[in-house]
Amino acid sequence: MSTTTIPSTHSAADLATLLPVRKPRPIADFLSTYVFSKDHKVIGLQFLFSTLLWFLVGGLLALAVRWQVAWPWSDVPVLGKLFAQQGGQMSPEFYTMLFTMHATVMIFLVIIPILAGAFGNFLIPLMIGADDMAFPTLNMLSYWFMWPAFFAFGASFFVEGGAASSGWTSYPTLSTNVAASPGSGMGQTLWLVGLTMVGVSSMLGSVNYMTTIILMRAHGMTMFRLPMTIWAMFITAVLQAFALPVLTAAGFMQLADRTLGTGFFSPEGNMVNNTLTATGGGQPLLWQHLFWFYSHPAVYIMILPAMGMVSDILTCFARKPLFGYRPMVYSIAGIAGLGFIVWGHHMFISGMNPALGITFMVSTMMIALPSAVKTFNWLGTIWGGRIQFTTAMLFALSFVSMFIIGGLSGIFMAATPVDIFIHDTYFIVAHFHYVLFAGTAMGVWAAIYFWFPKMFGRTMNEFWGKAHFFLTFIFLNGTFFTMHILGAVGFPRRLADAYHYETFHHLQPLNAFMTWCAIGMVTSQIIFAVNFFWSMFFGPIAGRNPWHANGLEWSAPSPPGHGNFDFQPVVYRGPYEYSVPGAEKDYLMQTDPPNAAAAMAAAAAH
Amino acid sequence: MHVLTTPPFAGTDRGQQLFQAHSGGVWRAFTLVFALAFTLGCGATPPAYFRLNMVEATKQHLTTQQEEQVSTVLLAMFGTPDEPATLPEMGLDAAKLKLAAGPVRSDIVGRKNGLYREHCAHCHGITGDGLGPTSAFLNPYPRDYRPGVFKFKSTERADKPTHADLLRILHNGIAGTSMPSFALLSTAQIDALAEYVKYLSIRGETELSLMRAFFELDDDAAGKLPQTREFLVTETLAVAAAKWQGASAAQIAVPPMPADIELVDSIAKGRTLFYGEKANCVKCHGVTGLGDGQANDYDDWNKAIVEADKEVTGGERRAQEAQTSGMSPEELKEHREQIAWLEKFTRVLDGDALKPRTIPPRNLRQGVYRGGRRPLDLYYRIHAGINGAPMPAGKGTIPPEDIWHIVNYIRSLPYEFDGELGADRPLVARDRF
Amino acid sequence: MRSRLLGIIWSLVFLAVPVLGVATFAIAPAFDIWLPKNVSEHGPTVDGLFMFILVLTGVVFVVTEGLLFWFLWKYDAAHAQGPATYRHGSHSLEVVWTILPAGVLLFLAIYQMNSWADIKMRRPAMSPTVEVVGRQFEWRLRYPGRDGMLGTPDDLFIVNDLHVPVDEDILVQLKSADVLHSFFLPNLRIKQDAVPGMKIPVWFKATQTGEFDIVCAELCGWGHYKMKGHITIESREDFDSWIEKKYAEQESTQPVAEPSDAVAIAD
Repeated sequence: MSTTTIPSTHSAADLATLLPVRKPRPIADFLSTYVFSKDHKVIGLQFLFSTLLWFLVGGLLALAVRWQVAWPWSDVPVLGKLFAQQGGQMSPEFYTMLFTMHATVMIFLVIIPILAGAFGNFLIPLMIGADDMAFPTLNMLSYWFMWPAFFAFGASFFVEGGAASSGWTSYPTLSTNVAASPGSGMGQTLWLVGLTMVGVSSMLGSVNYMTTIILMRAHGMTMFRLPMTIWAMFITAVLQAFALPVLTAAGFMQLADRTLGTGFFSPEGNMVNNTLTATGGGQPLLWQHLFWFYSHPAVYIMILPAMGMVSDILTCFARKPLFGYRPMVYSIAGIAGLGFIVWGHHMFISGMNPALGITFMVSTMMIALPSAVKTFNWLGTIWGGRIQFTTAMLFALSFVSMFIIGGLSGIFMAATPVDIFIHDTYFIVAHFHYVLFAGTAMGVWAAIYFWFPKMFGRTMNEFWGKAHFFLTFIFLNGTFFTMHILGAVGFPRRLADAYHYETFHHLQPLNAFMTWCAIGMVTSQIIFAVNFFWSMFFGPIAGRNPWHANGLEWSAPSPPGHGNFDFQPVVYRGPYEYSVPGAEKDYLMQTDPPNAAAAMAAAAAH
Repeated sequence: MHVLTTPPFAGTDRGQQLFQAHSGGVWRAFTLVFALAFTLGCGATPPAYFRLNMVEATKQHLTTQQEEQVSTVLLAMFGTPDEPATLPEMGLDAAKLKLAAGPVRSDIVGRKNGLYREHCAHCHGITGDGLGPTSAFLNPYPRDYRPGVFKFKSTERADKPTHADLLRILHNGIAGTSMPSFALLSTAQIDALAEYVKYLSIRGETELSLMRAFFELDDDAAGKLPQTREFLVTETLAVAAAKWQGASAAQIAVPPMPADIELVDSIAKGRTLFYGEKANCVKCHGVTGLGDGQANDYDDWNKAIVEADKEVTGGERRAQEAQTSGMSPEELKEHREQIAWLEKFTRVLDGDALKPRTIPPRNLRQGVYRGGRRPLDLYYRIHAGINGAPMPAGKGTIPPEDIWHIVNYIRSLPYEFDGELGADRPLVARDRF
Repeated sequence: MRSRLLGIIWSLVFLAVPVLGVATFAIAPAFDIWLPKNVSEHGPTVDGLFMFILVLTGVVFVVTEGLLFWFLWKYDAAHAQGPATYRHGSHSLEVVWTILPAGVLLFLAIYQMNSWADIKMRRPAMSPTVEVVGRQFEWRLRYPGRDGMLGTPDDLFIVNDLHVPVDEDILVQLKSADVLHSFFLPNLRIKQDAVPGMKIPVWFKATQTGEFDIVCAELCGWGHYKMKGHITIESREDFDSWIEKKYAEQESTQPVAEPSDAVAIAD
């Protein structure tokens, strides 16, 4: 491929002549390069490492939850030492804390930051041909605002009463009154602080992404030549900007209820555990509305970027253009737009006016439509392709496969009469684990395997990558698929001991099987961890474009230096020109200048 | 990552080398990580154990050897939480204890064992000391069985509850507290749990007697308890156990409610008595019956901690004021021992006792009756008072028909809507919502 | 070049999804892992809807996952000949697969509105049969007594043990004493959150006698799992005599004569 002759402004020779000589300041330089860096790639990697670490924490919390569900009141490994006097048996309030923090960590410290913070940061300027984000300092702050959140959530485990224990949904009056649940003391206050910090980080990020994508695209990069990753990141950023303020406000209101004695969410005379709430006159349902107004768009924030990245990966390894580019873009916009008017489907049973059950049912049913359109278009993308079964491709395919399950199970919940039965049962747990874990997390792994060469200049080991995929795929389905039928039995969520009810006695062996699969799944991630760190230092060196992909990022060096491109990128076509008839290679990069003969042949063939 | 500070370079395109596995190194790293993960997790927790009553042990100035003596004796007589032991003097059924004790598991016929640990231990503690992991977060605190004092029963104030009383509490729970109703367990299971509560209580009282016995020892006993069966069993354990066995005999004889008076008149009479000097209910329960008469008293369990706290504070003050300069060597040694004891007691009170709370008198307008809502239950409460709590016994002071009148008045209180006790007092109305 | 065998293996891994997925749902009922026995009048509507959606989504599931498998099998680079199909989409296909699912989903939504209204919006005109108050961690029940009114001295107070007559409209007044709870009767296909500060009506009609569970279905604290109750559905005569019996016990002024200490006293 040819490069233009425009000289880079960042070559060594230029730097030497342009910059004044200055005293070397090792510590300050180290800090500004690796710690408080404003380079979007470093920030992206900081997000990546932090979130992967919290992924481990969240996974271990999940294992403790699964242990109790499968073998209640038995000696818990490792954690049993905390309950030595009882012979290792965990106490029920500890269990409520476990599932609360598992969900909190996974949602706010893993999925949201890894999609937007890690991949959004790393990929957006590279994919649009910019040399960095629009606001590099703001970008750095967006990462460092996560650290107070890390401290807040981490410290909450060690305060009196333990970490928050009223579910990640924190419904009052359980969460607002310290007498209602042990974790509703300092633990819940720290939880709210952490939530606010994550919210600020996300908002700073979303402003940055929107501005960068709108204003800093390379020459020739029109909106409809953007890769799906960028469209997804862009629309996700819009979602964040509009939805987050509501959650932040609700968080402040709950903090005020807990510390300043206001009564937004507690009714008059509310007494819990023989302790009177300070004031009243409020409504618990108000929190639910405010919370879900954000948290429903949040679930789309947690999947749209993965959908975008999967589109890019599928096209690359099917060697085919994306089927239905514009419908795909409109679907993402449709999901985001409709996502703002469906929040009540989390509240069908909550005591809100049942008439709203009708309106939210209609909008919720309709939101299945754009997701269905996307799924059909992915199938259309691999149809007629030349599929390469690389690790990234396998994960991307499993995203599609698992998303079908997650999406279809959502239709049951949208049906309000059915929701009467399955609300707060394991059917719901199955649904969101399929979309979030079997969907988004698989998409995240696909993205890691795909863009690892760009991030670190080396490729990950393909054999171990496929082993990781195979084991994860088997074990996750073993853990989560049968949760659908558990839900059909009516097996409720968040119970420390469901076998207290005779009707659920016979489900213990199934739960034990699921827990074994969960243990297998978490253990299999060791393969990924070893592969990840090993390859970072000892993997085979990758060139600029090991996958022969089309995106702008693949024309930059691996890894890109400061300023990203060593030439001035100009875009001549869309991102999915694979297997163009008449071209000598099966891919045509966005930056490849048009070749007259190839262009004429392509025009003739089409 | 050093490439970021050096000028960018054009990487070579070595697509062919993509799929080479560096298997050797990866296997080694993999094994290492796996081994680490397993060693961290392995090792089962040791079996559950009874905790010594450290507050009493410290209060009695027991040495470590003396504490060990007590533990050994208790282990021999009562066994462990997993394997309870019985002696005939206890009057307990070993089979029922077996059902209640141990970790939660099912035996070969599928019958659930470990009932106590499944249902009770996380509040009442493995030792029955009311110090389970959940206990600090409950209001009121869960019962500590060790002093052998129980509040809601059908016997005279100072007597133990009957077995049927325990069954009733398990069956109905205690309204207005965190003690749930276990009505949905089988009869055999509730029975086993009641038996195990008695076991823990007898064990607790025996422990207290043993600890207090050190004070009575002669000097030539050299700080050791007599090892005779006569002392350990007959004089200590059997005394506590006998009270349980004699509980049924101490049941309150309840005369029938007076039949020759209309309910309305009885209620009026009860009202007069409620406000009268003989019963003097308003002193604690308040002129409005809202339980706002006074709120400064403690129940026995909290009182013990409050007094211990006072002892520690007083002792610390005295120790600080003491003039160490003019002391003889023996006095100095005593002074230092005292300080060490005070520090130990402070630690024990921090770790082994819950923060004391006052006991509010019952709000009678709420219609929540902890010991049961039958007229019979209210009769028991007024006649015998509430053992362990400041509610005094009316026996001897208030004649039985008067007790019945008061009972009728109290039962009418939640429904009485006087002019001044209206909807603006949310704690008053039965229907707060 | 990678062998064809690997491609086959990966395709089969993805084929396992619809195969095992359908198999799981097919064999679960044989292990008694399925919708619990229904004893309520509106239950068949709920169950019927569940099954309809199951079949509908099941068909879509099998078709889409099947297509995924088929494309992976057929278009494996290791065995397919020639370049990939250079196609950016199909306008007509987009129209079809937008309009068709939209129609189905809209139909599904409209079809269910009536059932939802029956269960949650069309309250029968009657006074409450029983008041259920969720409290950490028990269900406190209050029957109105002979005068038919709640809040009078002849009310009957029970804990965790709900009785209702069969084949009659039942109206429950649901409240919460402290935090959110949820009144879930699996066998009656009833669920409603109990909200502090609100009085929420719940109605149903039981069609068969028997004893079933009351489950708390909204996290209410550490004892959420302990909030087990029982609902006993019995004939009107049995129900009336049970109420009489319980009321007599509640008003008892003399201890019950016990044959032995080991018998649990009913209350």
